[in-house]
Amino acid sequence: MTFQQFAYRNVIRNSRVYAAFFMASIFSVMVFFIYSMLMFHPNIEDQFLQDIAFNGMLVAEIILIIFTLFFLFYSMSAFLQARSKEFGLLLNLGMDREQMDRLIFIETMVLGFISITVGIFFGFSFSKFFFMVIREMFLLDSLPLYLSWKPFALTIFVFLSLFITISISSAMYIRKKEIIQLLKGNWRKSDDVEFTKWKANLGFGLLLAAYSLVIISTYHMNIEMSIIIIMLATVGTYYFFTDSILYLLHQIRKRKNLYWHRYRLIAFAEVSIKIRENARMFFVVTIVSTIAFLSVGVVTSFTTFTGQYRALNPVSIFYSSNWDNPFEEEHIMKITNQLQSDNLSYELVKFNVKKQTSSSNGEVVHLIRESEINSLAISLKYPILDLPAGKAQFLTDIKETMGNDNEQEVQTVLAESSVPIYIQGVYDYKLFPSFVMNKQTIIISDEDFRLINEPLMGYGRNESNITYYAFHVPEWLRTKNVGTDLVNIMTSSLATTNYNPNPFYFENPGLDYSVIQATFSLLLFTGLLVAAVLLLAAGSFVYFKLYTDLERDKKQYDVLRRMGVTDRELVKIVNRLLIPQFFLPWGLAMVHSTFSFLFLQALWVDLAAISIAMEMLLVLAAFTLIQVSYFYLIRWRYIAHIQI
Amino acid sequence: MSILVLDEVTKVYEGKVAHLAVNLLSFEVEKGEFLAVMGPSGSGKTTLLNIISTIDTPTSGDLLIDNINPLNLPKNELSLFRRKHLGFVFQNFNLLPALTVEENMILPLTLDDQPVEEMKKKVKILAEQLNLTSILEKRPAEISGGQAQRTAIGRALIHEPSLILADEPTGNLDSKSAKDVLEILTEVNKKRQTTIIMVTHDPTAASYCDRVLFIKDGQYFNEIYKDDRRQTFFQRILNVLSLLGGNVNDLSTIRLS
Repeated sequence: MTFQQFAYRNVIRNSRVYAAFFMASIFSVMVFFIYSMLMFHPNIEDQFLQDIAFNGMLVAEIILIIFTLFFLFYSMSAFLQARSKEFGLLLNLGMDREQMDRLIFIETMVLGFISITVGIFFGFSFSKFFFMVIREMFLLDSLPLYLSWKPFALTIFVFLSLFITISISSAMYIRKKEIIQLLKGNWRKSDDVEFTKWKANLGFGLLLAAYSLVIISTYHMNIEMSIIIIMLATVGTYYFFTDSILYLLHQIRKRKNLYWHRYRLIAFAEVSIKIRENARMFFVVTIVSTIAFLSVGVVTSFTTFTGQYRALNPVSIFYSSNWDNPFEEEHIMKITNQLQSDNLSYELVKFNVKKQTSSSNGEVVHLIRESEINSLAISLKYPILDLPAGKAQFLTDIKETMGNDNEQEVQTVLAESSVPIYIQGVYDYKLFPSFVMNKQTIIISDEDFRLINEPLMGYGRNESNITYYAFHVPEWLRTKNVGTDLVNIMTSSLATTNYNPNPFYFENPGLDYSVIQATFSLLLFTGLLVAAVLLLAAGSFVYFKLYTDLERDKKQYDVLRRMGVTDRELVKIVNRLLIPQFFLPWGLAMVHSTFSFLFLQALWVDLAAISIAMEMLLVLAAFTLIQVSYFYLIRWRYIAHIQI
Repeated sequence: MSILVLDEVTKVYEGKVAHLAVNLLSFEVEKGEFLAVMGPSGSGKTTLLNIISTIDTPTSGDLLIDNINPLNLPKNELSLFRRKHLGFVFQNFNLLPALTVEENMILPLTLDDQPVEEMKKKVKILAEQLNLTSILEKRPAEISGGQAQRTAIGRALIHEPSLILADEPTGNLDSKSAKDVLEILTEVNKKRQTTIIMVTHDPTAASYCDRVLFIKDGQYFNEIYKDDRRQTFFQRILNVLSLLGGNVNDLSTIRLS
């Protein structure tokens, strides 16, 4: 047996031990590779899409690298610690330190080699699927699988350097220990639980301060505050795990009536030790989980925005034409032809909008006929209006803007044509783009509309008329090819100013929506994958730690079993031991994210009227579910291990 | 009255090579007796102790503890039986490192859900008897081996079991601590009338007992009862051990007496 064989067999024959580690690192390589495949895709012509793909993937990959580095380092040292007796024996048998370094190096590289190969293999197999998802999102014609050396080179380079770094640093880790320490395998300093009271209070204080600041922020939004809050919460979390929680447990342990009770005695004492030993890891897991919850939550809340998009833009294609528009017929012909050639059925409602001066406030108002509104309302399944002569209703611009009650009931006269109308209430459905709507657009009855025959003061007979064309297309998501040239005119002329120099206005929400939706979906998809990697790794941390302490725990359970603890009681003790380790960091992360969401929600309200409460509830529930199943999986493994 | 009855207990470890660990062993232990089990390495002492501890089952034969046959009990009740009737003292003390001395001692009581006042009272009495009062708040890592073993004895005694099983209780102790521990065990045995079965290698330890049972290759070899003086009892133990060490037949022919 050569030295290399020895190292190789050490890994391969311990593959069961390394299973969780392999799972997490292979998954990480796989996701990284898939992202690089998209990053280097040669067939993405759309500049916009290319930018999101490249930058989005780049950020995701950097997060992955940093986290994977941390994850690998932690799990490697946990493994080495678990195998310390073996290393002690080898050193005892006369292996020199250099050989030991080489052994660890080769072993780590074998692990790395397997992870990279298998990860890239799965990554490549799944990238076609990933491209299909992306293609569906962006409604691209094709996004073929391609073969290029770049993603392979990037993945191999990045992960190879990661594994080399890890193998060198973990060899250092072992190097520092004496043989006798390794042989005893007991690296813990003492089983005493130490904490400092002022640090404990500092932990509570900082967290409390951070949370109070968030609550204050919901009333007085201040973006700069977020940095202070993040800092307070981070430092607070650290002291919470290193001191506060131990202080709390100490307080409980002082109360014997509470503490000297069935399984609590063992559970509390053991949990204090585990928490003290793993405080730093819990801190990292908490922060990582918070970031994972948040990123997914934020991205999901973007999709709410797209959900509300339809409500804000009910008309599938909108074209408005001023009286002096020479292209009117040509454009409408073109739009209808395009709709027909795309096999899209549509209903067209034409609106003749008249302008008049309202006597009550002297402002120009836009007037729309009731029957025209109704024909659109029927298509959109909105309620129908029935206005008697002389009555009228406002048409809202955006919901909620018509909050000012004094405007709700107005008696006025349309000055030029001397038509008296009584405006009562609001037709609370947004129909037309805000851009073309006059501040005061009024729906009047057909009878009154016919009476308006005088033009707006100072204009010619036809000059005070506007025509709206509202196309209702049931399959509005497929209209992205309609009127692209008109969209280009609109974007080029509206890019710089708020003023529309053209005699017409065109809007195709289907096209806008497809871009917004695709961007957000990509972000969500990316965020979900990164979060999945983070969660998987965070769970593995707990598992590794348990694995490291397995020998000691086994001994304890053996004593307990002899003393007459039944198997069911043992499971109860294990539960009380594992639940805090799993759900304490996770619970704090939940509280953190809830407060972060509160903050974001407050921030969002300032930006747009979007509620993310529902989304964040869903995200938190989903993560809870994942965490609970992970808990059961690991508990099952743990119990299997300790039951000899 | 016998508190423990073994009747032709046999334990065979199956495997590629079947191994007969305990062979047709029968003996009885009276209530309040302090019994030592001695024998060379591999003689089946630990297997025997495990069988009495009810964590291992004999291949054949019968076992009665306190007139109960633990072999007939279902697994769950067996645990409860151990909790109620047995106390353990180990060579490595096996204290739970997370718990203080006091907490280690009350552990069996908490499992039985006894009232806190009761536990406090029992710990106080026992700590005084075992001379542990000053270190009750310390953790196992902070105390000496002798103190740790005394704590373990406290843990074994606190629920007043009918039988204490001690596996090499002095194996990890220096001579002074060993003497302390043995004197405490003797005292407990005399004052509380607690039955103790102790497995040991050490003839000095065995000389504190009422009776020493020798086994070899899983079989009954000999037994001797203590006499008035510990010194002569010790000498007799050594004599049997010298027989036990080598081939018995050879030795007997050399020793004419």
